[in-house]
Amino acid sequence: MKIVVCIKQVPATNDAKIDPETKRIVREGMKAILNPFDTYAVEEGVQLRDKFGGEVIALSMGPPKAEASLREAISVGVDRAILLSDRAFGGSDTWATSYALSKAIKKIGDIDLVICGKQAIDGDTAQVGPGIAAHLDWLQATYVMAVEEISSSSIRVKRMHEDGYDICEMSLPAVITVVKDINIPRVPSLKGRLASNKCEIPVWKPDDIGADTSKIGLNGSPTRVVKIQPPPPRHTSTKKIEGSSIECAQSLLRELRLRSIV
Amino acid sequence: MIHHIQNKIYHIEVLPPKQDSEKLEKDLEIFSNKYLRVMDSSYCTCITDNTMGLLSFQGTEIIEELDLPVMSEQVMIHLNTFHTKDDLDNILDICKAKGIRYLLIITGDGSERLPKLQPSDVGATDVESVTSVELLKYINHEYPDTFVLGAAFNPYEPEEHEFEKMKRKMKAGATYIITQPLIERNEVVDRLLEKYPEIPVIIGTWMSRKLHLLSEAVGYEIPENAEYDPISTLKMLHKLYSGCGVYLSLLGFKTQYDLIKDIWV
Repeated sequence: MKIVVCIKQVPATNDAKIDPETKRIVREGMKAILNPFDTYAVEEGVQLRDKFGGEVIALSMGPPKAEASLREAISVGVDRAILLSDRAFGGSDTWATSYALSKAIKKIGDIDLVICGKQAIDGDTAQVGPGIAAHLDWLQATYVMAVEEISSSSIRVKRMHEDGYDICEMSLPAVITVVKDINIPRVPSLKGRLASNKCEIPVWKPDDIGADTSKIGLNGSPTRVVKIQPPPPRHTSTKKIEGSSIECAQSLLRELRLRSIV
Repeated sequence: MIHHIQNKIYHIEVLPPKQDSEKLEKDLEIFSNKYLRVMDSSYCTCITDNTMGLLSFQGTEIIEELDLPVMSEQVMIHLNTFHTKDDLDNILDICKAKGIRYLLIITGDGSERLPKLQPSDVGATDVESVTSVELLKYINHEYPDTFVLGAAFNPYEPEEHEFEKMKRKMKAGATYIITQPLIERNEVVDRLLEKYPEIPVIIGTWMSRKLHLLSEAVGYEIPENAEYDPISTLKMLHKLYSGCGVYLSLLGFKTQYDLIKDIWV
């Protein structure tokens, strides 16, 4: 089985700054991490490879420093990684990004399954996974909480809903986007991390993947951000619960239930 | 552990490199230098476990990877409940194989990226979540007569609750206690010493001038004191708690290390 896991490097902070001119996130000088939802995609790819054999490849599009997130994927068991990086990719919206990633997936060739996190925490669009499926004209299942069965020609997954789940069976190749319930991502080992530092990560440019430059970057992006503003500040408050241990526990439970937390 | 107190062996906290380190090789070198320095001083290196939920490399894997020497009396590993069962067993197996005997068992701080042990992982049937108590029981059961297990005591928590927890930790197999860092006499710790006169108690001592960090670490508001002098505090705590061991949190290896060698004599 040959699997591609698409990952994204995102700002580590919730205080992301927005460039008022371009309406895009200012990434310079900001600490970056592997998108938390993508860690579940990586883990699922590695687990499927471990179970069924084959290869799992991490793929990302971003600036050169996005290589760090690919190395993180390698440190937890991904076999190799590829970075799409070029000025021409800059400014791509989700449609142009998924186009570029789909071209890279085609170039890698013979892929059975593409796994993405359900969404990135910076844009929160959840569009790139479905976009890749659309560009490749492959079947897709989003919000996957479990891979129930997989063979050389088909996959059966459990999709999460607000009110439950449904079971989908699709022929391969296919694209899935995964949610947090699917697994517990492993923490990189020191050995894995040191080994990942030595791996060579090829950087592909538009020509390498045969991308039509009119379909990438700002030119290839039908989305225009016309206005952007920060969300209103969150109001927090503290409530002190007093009484005996049992009374406090009961009050706390009641408060949590009122908020539908438990 | 009583041997550590009798022989005036400081317990010196050493933080392993963080997972997101951008200069990992350099950080490993710094860790290695600190570790070896503590060894050379005949003190005990205490390696933390994802302190405050911040992802770091495990002490055991660093010792293995860098092939650092292990003197059984001079290495202590902190171990918390935020691991997978496989990782937990792997850490314990490495400790056993390397001759690391001293473990400080704590519940620890979680984070989005850290897995949490489940009750079934440690054979606990009567709880909904794993704390240091269940972890102590598990290690005692699975590795009998292998480790010297310790428990943490937080004098900043509600007293009744903390003493109740300590009772359960002792019953689960803890044989020594390390307190959260102090900066002055603490009446709750005084009562701990009265309650457990036979148990070796190691007094945590805050060696950073940044008191706000202590507040963040123990979850309790400690007034900021610009005059705070860690070395004077260490001397004072030695006098106040002369029958106890000492655990040095955030000791400055460049500025403080050479100053401590003549204090506890």
